[in-house]
Amino acid sequence: MSEHNPDTAFAGVSRLRGRIFGSLAKAASWLGVVVLAWLLFMVVVDAFGLTAASTDWYLGALVGFGAPLATYSAYLYWKRPDLRWIAVRATVIPPAGLIFAGAIFVLFLVFEPFFWFLYYTIAVLPAVAVYGHFATRDDTRAPLAAGFVGVVGLVIGYFVEPLILIMPLPWIMLVWVLVVPAGALIAYRQAPEDRQQQVTILGTGVAGGVLASYLGPALIGVTPDTAVILYAATLLPVAWYNGAVLANDRSAWPGLLGPVVALGAIGGGIVLGGLVGTTGPEPVLDWQFLTSAPSTLPANAGLFPAIVGSVFIIAIVAIVSFVVGVGAAIYLEEYAPQTGVGGTITRIIRVNIANLAGVPSVVYGLLGLGLFVNLIGMGLGIVLVAGLTLSLLILPIVIISAQEAIRSVPEEVREASYGMGATRWQTIREVVLPRAVPGVLTGTILALSRAIGETAPLLMIGAATTVFRPPTGFASQVSAMPLQVFYWSFHQKSAFRELIAPAGVVTLLVVMLSMNVLAIYLRNRYEQQA
Amino acid sequence: MTEYFEEPDLSGNRGFQSLREGFYKALFFSFAAATVLTTIGIFLTLFVDALGFFRSYSLVAFLTGLDWSPSLEPVSFGVLPLVFGTLTVTFTAAVIAIPVGTLTAVYLSEYAAARTRAVLKPLLEILAGVPTVVYGFFALVYVTPVIDFFFPGVSTFNVLSASLMVGIMTIPMVSSISEDAMSAVPDSLRQAGYGMGATKYEVTTDIIVPAATSGIVSSYILAISRAIGETMIVTVAMGMQASIPAVKTADVFGLGIPFVHPGEVFLGSGQTMTAAMVQIANSDLAGGTIAYESLFAIGLTLFAITLLMNIVSNVISERYREEY
Repeated sequence: MSEHNPDTAFAGVSRLRGRIFGSLAKAASWLGVVVLAWLLFMVVVDAFGLTAASTDWYLGALVGFGAPLATYSAYLYWKRPDLRWIAVRATVIPPAGLIFAGAIFVLFLVFEPFFWFLYYTIAVLPAVAVYGHFATRDDTRAPLAAGFVGVVGLVIGYFVEPLILIMPLPWIMLVWVLVVPAGALIAYRQAPEDRQQQVTILGTGVAGGVLASYLGPALIGVTPDTAVILYAATLLPVAWYNGAVLANDRSAWPGLLGPVVALGAIGGGIVLGGLVGTTGPEPVLDWQFLTSAPSTLPANAGLFPAIVGSVFIIAIVAIVSFVVGVGAAIYLEEYAPQTGVGGTITRIIRVNIANLAGVPSVVYGLLGLGLFVNLIGMGLGIVLVAGLTLSLLILPIVIISAQEAIRSVPEEVREASYGMGATRWQTIREVVLPRAVPGVLTGTILALSRAIGETAPLLMIGAATTVFRPPTGFASQVSAMPLQVFYWSFHQKSAFRELIAPAGVVTLLVVMLSMNVLAIYLRNRYEQQA
Repeated sequence: MTEYFEEPDLSGNRGFQSLREGFYKALFFSFAAATVLTTIGIFLTLFVDALGFFRSYSLVAFLTGLDWSPSLEPVSFGVLPLVFGTLTVTFTAAVIAIPVGTLTAVYLSEYAAARTRAVLKPLLEILAGVPTVVYGFFALVYVTPVIDFFFPGVSTFNVLSASLMVGIMTIPMVSSISEDAMSAVPDSLRQAGYGMGATKYEVTTDIIVPAATSGIVSSYILAISRAIGETMIVTVAMGMQASIPAVKTADVFGLGIPFVHPGEVFLGSGQTMTAAMVQIANSDLAGGTIAYESLFAIGLTLFAITLLMNIVSNVISERYREEY
């Protein structure tokens, strides 16, 4: 066409092609998420045996569960929108406290309460006291003095420990180690100035702890030690939060009903479902599953040793990868020379870290096998080897995210600090790190949530897929949640593959997702502040 | 204070303080240097034991052998069946992850509203964060029955379900790095495109994607390298049979055309290099035997391949990056 017609000149501009492309892109973005949602739905259905329940059970449970929740939400939404976040926090704190109590419980499985009692009393407490003494006088030698006192305490404790034959009852030691410092912290935060009120809060807190050790066994049948742990990790924070909210605004009490409503909804759902329904669900994932050892019988099978194993491994990974990772990031961002021979070394380290992040995890397993087991001679499949191997695996991720967090601290604040005559280390400790901490924590938690699901490296270092007893120290044989899932996925009995493995998968995913949510929450809070 | 005037200390000698500064610098340097030691450690561990393997088994036979049977007598350590398994999985996963991941990146960077992005991005992070053993379990227990519905007679452990899951798992890897590259394209280029009368589609395909090519390509390479190193999905869902399918000859108009039946490749079981490593590590082979050492030979091969791909990816994103 040689003739130029303005009406057809725009015929080349078709909106159809663009629309198709846009919808295609949209569909593609949701594809992975939808597939994952389907798979998660299937695995949750299996883990809780939801197919066993009849339709009328669902109807009953829906009413029993939904009615209280909907009423409460509607009340908050229309009447008291200002209490929304208070209700959410109040509802989250008790379960979070229970998880925290579980973690403390596991820590006391590793080391006897007496171990904590001794070192807390003669190393940690004096060190904190010395630090406070120096810090209140703005003396810069505070950390040094505290460190010195702490180390001396540790050394004395090491020699004194075998000599002590009489020790207090475990629950008394737990009150001293857990409840007293927690009470002191709350007292200090709630009433920084008022000495009278501080004593009252601390006294009430400790009295509550003593009371819990008597009431716990009587009311819910736990040992006095467990009762004290539950009190310190769950009841005390709940009391603190509720007390603080009420002290601030007495009319905010409806927001604190959140956990009661949630509990009532769950209870109401179960009761009403049971009344109306002919058959209820047959959950595999229940208390028994979480607290029993693996078994050859599907009905008795549990995940407990693997959960404890995972906690042990993650504890090592968290400490090693955080210390080394943040240290390396500080070096690369704050110290590393950029030019000359030093600059070349810096560049090598940077490229190397980027490449390490891409090495398959199974190869790290071989490194752990060759280095820790074969060369150094640590045992096959023990806690320490597993922890160190996974630390090496996530170290590059921790370093890279910590570097980003440190880099995002503006240069001006560093310059200002140097201008005041601060040294490099003082600048890092007082200016850079406090601002970088949220970013560093987010990256570390995300990396840890990856470590908790890693399976291949653990298989390579010879970790057992099934152990029947939780580990007792850093040299004991260990299994982990993903290893146990791996074992069940292959079991020749179909009940293990189709019922027990899903329960393990859901447990693993809940742990992993809560770590992700925590990291995302931290990041959002941090981004809002920045 | 008895003395008002004090001689200022201008010696620059900070004594203990400079000692402390030096200590922290050395400490943090040693942490950073530890990462280099990790690489050296990986290389030496793999190399020493692999060397032991190649002393008793020829390198040529390892690299060209068509039979992998480390435990059954007579043992044979031809790596090609494992390479074939790895390539099949990687290729299939790439066919899924590359287009889907790229489109996701385009959507997130150009089309999606801020609210959608705020929901979708964390969800994609979760997709990337699900443990691979869980994906393996999903492939075996939930995906295989679906495949069985379409292709009855698929074996319980099959290549297709594992490959699909590896593909799903690598989508976020492609999308997040590609999206970073696309978002980094300055807005002035977009505005220029719109100013010339281009549609959103034309701006995306003719301006944004070409400008972000280096980042997009390096995301592809990283995703492929991740798929090659993926272990648990293939160990759980793909089976333990290292094999290369037979090449058949189709008689088309008297011409013998060689072909491989796709059903044999995808619906049967197979084994990748990574899965073979897990199998050997979990069998009762004692240290020092040739089969045990073959573990490190495969490990070295895997390490070399993935390292090479990572380096290539870095070079591409550094060398061909468009600076604005």
